[in-house]
Amino acid sequence: MREVIETTGGRSCSLGALYTTLDRLEAKGLVETWMSEPTQQRGGRAKRMVRVTGEGVRAAREFYHAVLRISRGTIWGESRHNNLPGDSA
Amino acid sequence: MNGLGEMGGPIQTAGWRCVEAAAGLLATREREIVLGDLAETDRGAWRGLGDVLGLAARRQLVMWRNWRPWAASFGLALPASLFLMGCSVAASAAVASLLDEPEQARLLWLSVSRLFLVICWAWTAGFAVGSVSRGTLWASVLGCCVPCLYCLSKWPGHGFSFLRLLIFVLPALWGVWRGRRDLQLSLGWAVFLAAVATLAPLMWSKGGWMYGCCLFWPGCYLAATARRRQE
Repeated sequence: MREVIETTGGRSCSLGALYTTLDRLEAKGLVETWMSEPTQQRGGRAKRMVRVTGEGVRAAREFYHAVLRISRGTIWGESRHNNLPGDSA
Repeated sequence: MNGLGEMGGPIQTAGWRCVEAAAGLLATREREIVLGDLAETDRGAWRGLGDVLGLAARRQLVMWRNWRPWAASFGLALPASLFLMGCSVAASAAVASLLDEPEQARLLWLSVSRLFLVICWAWTAGFAVGSVSRGTLWASVLGCCVPCLYCLSKWPGHGFSFLRLLIFVLPALWGVWRGRRDLQLSLGWAVFLAAVATLAPLMWSKGGWMYGCCLFWPGCYLAATARRRQE
């Protein structure tokens, strides 16, 4: 997860930032986590697995659409003219 | 940890030992996750050390957003250590008087009662500190040590006489240990300790009892939590 964030975001992501964010998301019910079985690759240690909940998917979709809407007409969003779900006008 | 570090040697280098030592600052479950993640990604010991320390710092900051660490360290450990040093001196003075005049029954009663009050009060305060804020116990220890070290630096006696100041330390540590284990006090014991806490300030002669009266809350806390647990 950390590697994906760093690769796609183009910036480093500290472990502390990642874990505290996950904790907040879990507290809000947007993701759920559980422990996997220990693996040799991890030195015999378990892994924290993460799954996005249905509520998390809805929240992510709303957030994504909100960003698109608010970016419309801006310099960085002017290339986007697609109608978005929820747009009435 | 397994595999090889980025420095080419076995991953159990001094750097990784530092990482594992620093991971001791984290909770057990999180420690395992973090060390596992670092072993899997294998980004190097020193970056891992920064990650672990950064995470531990964030965890501490989150804890300090709550009232509990403030109450435990600044509201109790610091003022209570000053109060308990005064009680310890009062109790040890009574014992010294008893040793000079062992036939005096009044001095025997005074010594026993004062020592009993010091021990009970220190245990109560230690229990409250340990149970109110486990994750920031270091701050409470610091809050207790600073006034102790200051008073020890000003102590006029010689040899081991400074121990008269520190009679409360062992029962307080015992209380902290039990508090950290979240021992559920029965209501009867909690009320008894709260009552003892109200009597302890009476051993002060020059108005110090008023200061002690401001420190009733550990006993009240024990009584309140014991009552809630019973419900």
